[in-house]
Order: sequence, then C-alpha cells, then structure tokens
Amino acid sequence: MENTDKSRREFLISGLMATAALAGCGENNNPFAPDQEVKLTGEKVKLLSVNGEIIEIDKAFLKPVPDLPTLSNSEERKGIPGKKFAMVIDLSRCKNLKKCQSACNHMHFVHPGQSWIKVLSMQDSEQSSPYWQPTTCMHCDEPPCVKVCPVDATFKRQDGIVAIDSDRCVGCRFCMAACPYSTRVFNWDAPEMPEEVAKQHYSCETSVPQKKGTVGKCDFCPDMVRKGALPHCVSACPNGVFLFGDINEDSVTNGAETFRFSDLIKDKAGYRLMEDLGTKPSVYYLPPVSRNFPYETGVENQNPDDLHHH
Amino acid sequence: MKSKNINNIGRAILLLVMAMPLGAAAQQDSVKPKLLLNVGYYMNNNQMMYLLANTKAKISGKFKQVPGIAVTVYLDKESPDQLIGKTITNEEGLGKLIIPASLKSVWDASAQHQFIGSTEATKEYESATAETDITKSKITVDTISDGETRKIAVSVSAYNGKDWIPAPDVELKVGVARIGGSLLTAGDEATYTTDSTGKVSAELLKKNLPGDEKGNLILVARVDENDTYGNLKVEKSVPWGIAVKPNEHFFDQRTLWSTRFKTPIWLLAMAYSIVLGVWGTIIYLVFQIIKIKKLGTSGEL
Amino acid sequence: MEKNTILSSEQITQDLLPKKFGKIGLIWTTTLVIICLIGAYAYFRQLKYGLAVTNMRDYVSWGIYISNFVFFVAISLVGSLITAIFRIAKVKWATPLTRIAEIIAVSAIVFASLIIIVDMGRPERFMNLFLHGRIQSPIMWDVIVIATYFCISLLLLYLPLLPDLKILIRFKEKTTNSLYKLYRFQGSFWKGTREQFKISEKSINVLCITIIPVAFCIHTVTSWLFATTYRPGWDSTNFGAYFISGAFLVGAGGVVVAMYVFRKYYKLEKYITELHFENMGRIVVLLALLYLYFNVNEYLVPAFKMKKSEEAHLASLFTGDFAPMFWFAILVGMILPIIILLFKKGRKPFPMFIAGVMIVVGAWFKRYLIVTPTLLHPFLPMQEVPANFHHYFPSWEEWAIAMGSLAGALLVITFFARIYPIIPIQETITEQHEEQEHQ
Repeated sequence: MENTDKSRREFLISGLMATAALAGCGENNNPFAPDQEVKLTGEKVKLLSVNGEIIEIDKAFLKPVPDLPTLSNSEERKGIPGKKFAMVIDLSRCKNLKKCQSACNHMHFVHPGQSWIKVLSMQDSEQSSPYWQPTTCMHCDEPPCVKVCPVDATFKRQDGIVAIDSDRCVGCRFCMAACPYSTRVFNWDAPEMPEEVAKQHYSCETSVPQKKGTVGKCDFCPDMVRKGALPHCVSACPNGVFLFGDINEDSVTNGAETFRFSDLIKDKAGYRLMEDLGTKPSVYYLPPVSRNFPYETGVENQNPDDLHHH
Repeated sequence: MKSKNINNIGRAILLLVMAMPLGAAAQQDSVKPKLLLNVGYYMNNNQMMYLLANTKAKISGKFKQVPGIAVTVYLDKESPDQLIGKTITNEEGLGKLIIPASLKSVWDASAQHQFIGSTEATKEYESATAETDITKSKITVDTISDGETRKIAVSVSAYNGKDWIPAPDVELKVGVARIGGSLLTAGDEATYTTDSTGKVSAELLKKNLPGDEKGNLILVARVDENDTYGNLKVEKSVPWGIAVKPNEHFFDQRTLWSTRFKTPIWLLAMAYSIVLGVWGTIIYLVFQIIKIKKLGTSGEL
Repeated sequence: MEKNTILSSEQITQDLLPKKFGKIGLIWTTTLVIICLIGAYAYFRQLKYGLAVTNMRDYVSWGIYISNFVFFVAISLVGSLITAIFRIAKVKWATPLTRIAEIIAVSAIVFASLIIIVDMGRPERFMNLFLHGRIQSPIMWDVIVIATYFCISLLLLYLPLLPDLKILIRFKEKTTNSLYKLYRFQGSFWKGTREQFKISEKSINVLCITIIPVAFCIHTVTSWLFATTYRPGWDSTNFGAYFISGAFLVGAGGVVVAMYVFRKYYKLEKYITELHFENMGRIVVLLALLYLYFNVNEYLVPAFKMKKSEEAHLASLFTGDFAPMFWFAILVGMILPIIILLFKKGRKPFPMFIAGVMIVVGAWFKRYLIVTPTLLHPFLPMQEVPANFHHYFPSWEEWAIAMGSLAGALLVITFFARIYPIIPIQETITEQHEEQEHQ
C-alpha cells in the first residue's frame, strides 16, 4: 500500500514533466488524472531539461506509456474512482466504415464472425431515411443483464461500466436474453488468439483473454482510460463518430475534438436507445441530421448476409 | 547482391510466417516495404524534454504502426559522443528517448538543434532515417481574472542564443485538460495563433465546468507538431471549476442490479422467510421419519 | 373390475407386487438405455468442444435444452396436483394414481436440473451458484425452489411407500437378494403400529400442504426466467399463471399416458378402472380449457395491439416460419384433446391414451415455441452476424441430449416400477376394507 501511495505522489510531482504522449493522434494525455498510478522501478535516470538543468526521473517513465500496476479482481470490480463514463455516437458522421468494429475485434480477440460493436443499418419507418447506427454495450445505469446474473459475473462498476468476469461466468446466458440491445456475444467455441495472450490472466478491464463457454461484450476499455488513452473504437474511427468521456468532467472527446457533453446533447438533441425500458444507458446518440455522408456510401461495406434488409 | 537473391525465397517464407500472426498482408515479392521513421520533440512544462520515435509502414494501402524496430538517435551529429540513445518501438510503433545529462555541453552550445534518427535494415524493412530540427522554446500560461470574465494568457518564446524572444505566428490550443489527454477548448475556436508579442489571450467561455473535488481545473496550452518548435505543452491548475463530489451513494444502494453483498432488504426478507419456512417444514418432516424409525426399531428390541 | 367387486388383500398384494421385466419390458428398457447412451456421448462431445456443437448462437442463445427444461418442470408439477390437491380434497378414487404422479414428478425434476447443467457453458463452475450466488437473480430462485421441490417430492414419494416396503419385505421369496436388502434398508423399521401410522398420516398431510405452494413456485419462477426480460412474447404479467395452467395440463396428460401403459402392461384393470379414466378425462378437459383460455389471453391481447416489437414475433407464429408448429401445438395440444374428451366415449382408456399423448407431444412443442421464436425477434435488427445466426434448428447433439434426457426420465420411472409397487398396496387394501365395511 505504501508503495502505491509513493508512486502516486511521485507521479504527481514528476507527472507534469514526464507524461507520455500518444503520437498516434498527436494528442498528449492528461497528466493530472489523479487515478493514474505508475509502477515504479526504483531506478533513476538523469536527463536534461530545456534550460540545460539536470533532472532525475524514475526509469518507468522512459516507456512511451508507463506500466501500470496490475489490478486485483476487487479493484477491477470497483472501477476507476471519481469517473462516470459515457459515450456519444454521432450518427450524422457514420458511413459504415467499420473501423471501430475491426479495431475492437482485433484488440479483444473476438471470435471471427462475431463482434462487440455492430454497425446496424436502421430505418425507423418506411418513409424515413435509413442510417447507420454503431451499437456498443449501453453500460446501462439500470442494467437488466446485471440484475439477472446469478453469480455476480457481470457487474456494474462505480465508474458506470458494466463489465464481465470471465473467470466467474457459468455460461447460463440469462444476461443475453435479458439485454434488449442484443449486445452480448457468447464464446461458443474456444476463442482464437495467440498462445501468449491465451495464457494471460483474465482482466475484467481488458476483457482479455476471452474464454470458451462464457459471455463477452464491449467493456468501454477502462484499461485504455487508465493509460490516458481512449477506447479502441474511438481512436480507430476516422470520422470521429465516437465521442468518449466522463460525465463528471462534463466532456466527451473523439481524440481530435472535445465537446462539453451537456452542450452537445442539448444542441444536437442527443437521445438514448429504448428510453421507455428504463435501462438508463450511458451511450447517447446524436440524430442522423445534416449528415457528412449519404447512407448509400456505406452500403458496399455492409455484411452480405444483411443485404436483404431494406 | 547475388547471395541476397538466393535468400529471397527463404525470406519470403519467413515473412509470411511472421506476418500471419499479425494479420498483416504477407509481402510476396522481394521488395521490402518502406519504413517511415519520425522523431518528434516534446517538451512539457518547460522542463522535461523527450523524443518519441515512431515507425510505421504503408502495407496494402494503409499505414500500420511497426513494432520492434531499433531506432538510434543522435543530437546534431552522427558521432558516438553525441548519441542520445537507442530505443525499440513498442506495439504502437513508439519508442521514447530522453536527452541524457552527458550531452549538456552540446545542448547548451546552441539555440537550434537537430535530432538525427536512423534504423538499420531488418529482414522485413529497409533502413530509414529522419531528421528533426527544433529551436529551443518555452511556453507559459497565466490567468487574468477581469471581474466576471476569466482569461487565459499564453506566451511562447524562443531562444536566440542569448535571450528568450517572443515567438509570433505559432498555432496553439488553449483550454481545459479532459479525459484521455483531450483538451476542451476555452473559447469557440479550436486553435489560436500568437501575435507579434508571442502572446495569445483566450477567454474561458465555458462556465461552471466541473473540476476535481476541490474545484480545480487544469488549464492547458499546447503546440502540436510545430515545424520550428516541435510539441510544447504547459499546464496550470486553477480554482475555476465546480467542485465535484463523486456520487458514491449510487453504488452503495441496495438494488436489483447490485452485487450479492447489496441485495435489497425486502428481497432478502422475502427469500429468507420463504426458504426458512419451507426448509423448516422439511427438517420437521425428516425428524418425523426418524421418530417413526425409532418407534419401529425400539419395538424390535 | 367394477367398483363393487371387493378384492381380498392377498389378491391385491399378488397383483400389485413389482414384477420382473418381460420381453417387452426388456426391449423397452434396452431402447431407453441406448437412447440415453447416445445422449451421453453427445454430451461428452459438448463437454469436449463446447456449446459450439449446438446450433444455438448469439441471437438464439437458448434453444431446445431450455425448452426441454421448461417441459420437465411443467410435467413435474403433476405430482402436487394428483397427490396433494386430491389428498387434501379427500378425492378417494385418485389413490391408485398418486404414486404414478409422484414418480413422474421426481424423475422430471431430476432431469430438469440435469438439463439446466447441460445448458451451461461452464458446467464445472456449477459451484459458483453456491459460492457467489446472487439472490436477485431469478436463476437463483429457480435453483432454490427446484431443490426444495425435489426434496419434498422425494418425501412425498417415500412416506406412503413405507407400509408397502413392509409388504415387500414380507414377500422375500418374490424378490432378488439385492432388492431385498434395499427394502430392508429403506423400510425395515416400519412395523405398521398405530402410532407410526399416526405420525405418517400427519406428515403426509403437512407435506401435501407444503408441496402446493412450492409447486406453484417452481413453475412461476421458471416462467419468470422469461417474463423478467423485455423480450416480445415473454414480457407478460400473465406468464406465471399461463405456465402453471400449461403445466397442470401436460402433467395430467402424462399421468393419463402412464396410467394406460401401466394398466396394459401390468394388467391392472382392476385397480386403474375405467372410472379412473372417466374422472381423469373430466379433469384433463377442464385443464385443457383453462390452458386454452390463457393461450387466447397470451396471444390475442398483444395481437390486438400489434406493438412494433411484438409484430414480427406474432406474425412468425401465426403465419410465418413457426406457424405449422404453432397451430400444431394449439390444435393437437389443446383443441383436439378437448374435443375427444368432451364425449363420454372419448373418456374410455384408449382414446384417453391418444389424447394424453397428443397433449404431451403438443406441450413439448409448445415449450419450444415459447423459447425460440422470441429470441429470433430482438428489438434491434439481427445484423452483422454470420448467416446461420439468423436461424435455429437443433443440432444432432442437441436432439440426442434432449431425447436422452426424456429417455432417462422414462428409465427412472421404469426402474421405479420394477422395484416398487406402482400402485400403493397398503392404501388400496385399506380402501377396499373401508368399502367393504361401507357395504
């Protein structure tokens, strides 16, 4: 315990100068995120400041992304303190590129054919125009899936995330029946992944490695947030469809743009899916108005099995 | 060259084997894909400098980050005594380097520097080089509270060898630090540009932003990928936010979705009373059977 | 065989003592064993390769196993109907049927629990239900209530068996050595004293009162596994009553079938008389009408409104892919049996047997229709999945396991009838005596 305290203090001091940057999008991460704790090595290195002064920092900060201490199961079940995650999906920007899906499937080793993010071709009524709707787990505040789980294998965390403990799950699939958004997938087969990944200890934050006979789904990538990065779908989308953020900070970001969450929802008439069910999702949608792309641009990317739709 | 050609088949097979687990398209021909190396200069809060080497390659039309490449970076001159260091790029194709204290004299000698990065040719990629020129610079952020309005003053200055002089026409972002390293811009514009005095003044138009538990916000001013100055960032904590107390109560509730340790009392009462009632009866009946048994066996004796 | 023929105790005992399997009995038992073994092999494959051997996929995540589970729970309800309700209501004619009903209940509830374990993706983690059990989950309610019902049913089977065990022990020469040991172990202490009878009678009464709410619970809770979700076709406040009425019907149908088979095979015409069929016929027709009523309720009301979410589901049942099976289940499972049993001639043993079979088969398909079509009509469109996720037809492993479980349940009943008197001997004798005195 003492060690973590120390590492936090040291981080807060050195954090200002030693924060890693994510070069992928040219964005620096938030050095002040108070929950970020870095696993220190105890070894120091001397380096130069811009003024030519010599400073000492822990070797841990030499990595592009410093290693984070491994979390215990109870920490993973509790969640990141002080956070309340939310996502805004801007339907006017989506053209069914499915980069979100492939990035997510790749990072979580989702079984081929299955996916945690589905980009659905939606049409609300005959006269209304079709649009593309990426669908993740809604991370409901009244999660029907969690209500029915007999063994606490799926649970609601303090930060709003509904996560799964694949080491606990008995595979009864009641949660799948209970979820009105059909977001959950089941590992009918042994999941395919490199052996070194399969050997890893399961983490409720990375949802890796998936295990045969258990349920999997979108986890909002809290491991990425801990690293000061964004969920894989958010950073993979070239059109900035996904905006991820913290309600407690009242802001959401897609990496390139950051909005005040409350303003965005108010100005663009954000809504949630199936509000009448009372599930209180954490995922908001911005309606497909003034679109960046016509619906048709996404058709070529549609799953051939779904073409009979519309 | 000749002996290399003989090895090509072997190399192609090796490539195939190595590329498959990565899910990358295998390169069938003997032409190695071009590796793109970039060395970025980063400076945070006018103190800590570091370099980020990034290796990527265009594979079947798409840029992919290339991991596992050894990058060597020198300061100004490719000579062993001006070596900054070596790094191997990680999963995201990134490697981080700091400028070691031993290069102090070289660093102090000039206001402009060049970072020279290079990679050796590998089995998969040709060698690559990169040069990044920077001018030493500083960025500061301050606040001006003018009655109701809250302004953020940013100034960028460059070193000319003797003095720190204002740096005009530098594009930068000013705002509040948010999740995932994002920046919520202070005003309506996404970016600002420094004037002839190297200054930018941005009003924080977003009122009542939630801060931390004490109501502190972190102001950020950031220069991204500037051709002259690289990447600069400065932060300042200000008490301009609304204090946000995380709602712990929400998770202490006893609800139907809570864990087994937070079952609603009414449900526990119902469940236990039913279970105890019925199992009490069952146990009573088992005792009745024992009683019958005792009656039977005592008769035998 | 008519009511007024009074049988001697010796005659009754001779007629009702368990008999060795005849040729048909052996063929029957062997067939069941083979079906069970095929099912066991299919389950072995499932354990090895995972639930991928089934044709369940992400949309149809519950299939034939769950519908089979619901079927077993439903049929097990009959134990409480025939035994408890009739006993409390002092319906004397039902005495010869009590043990048949109880053994159906016990074997069905055993296989209901087994099939739910078969459905689990991680059966080896079954203990998690006890280590990490969460009382908010209807699955936990089901686990508790099924375990409870099993225990009560077992007691209700055992207590009235005690006097018969004494008779079985007395006729040592008619049984094998190992069975004799079993009888002695289970019931050697029963001397038939007045005091023992008194305790036993009282216990049976307590049991009969206890088993009725528990039986209602097992099937109501099972219906809540569906009704606590939002899904079209499941999202109904009526589901508990709907399930219970259906369970009473299929259970009674099952008893009728068993009555006919036991009567025929063991030549029990003197004990299971036409009067029994007549009375059971009246009860079955009442139950079938009741279930039909709930069906009308369950389908007509949503069909009247045709909410968007319900529309595709109802259309698939009424006129779509599931229409043949749906109308089969309604017609064969309810309407035809009602028509047959409304006539006096329809309440003779053989037509009753046919009606019983129709009810049981119809009920099995009905359970399938409750589970699968709903899952094929989720709220959000079924997209971005392989083509085979859009349909469901059980794989051979699923069929083999489901049929194996049905065969297993029949096997339990068969062995029970081989070991114990399927009609209570002592109670029949007592009743004959009472009748004699009455005359």
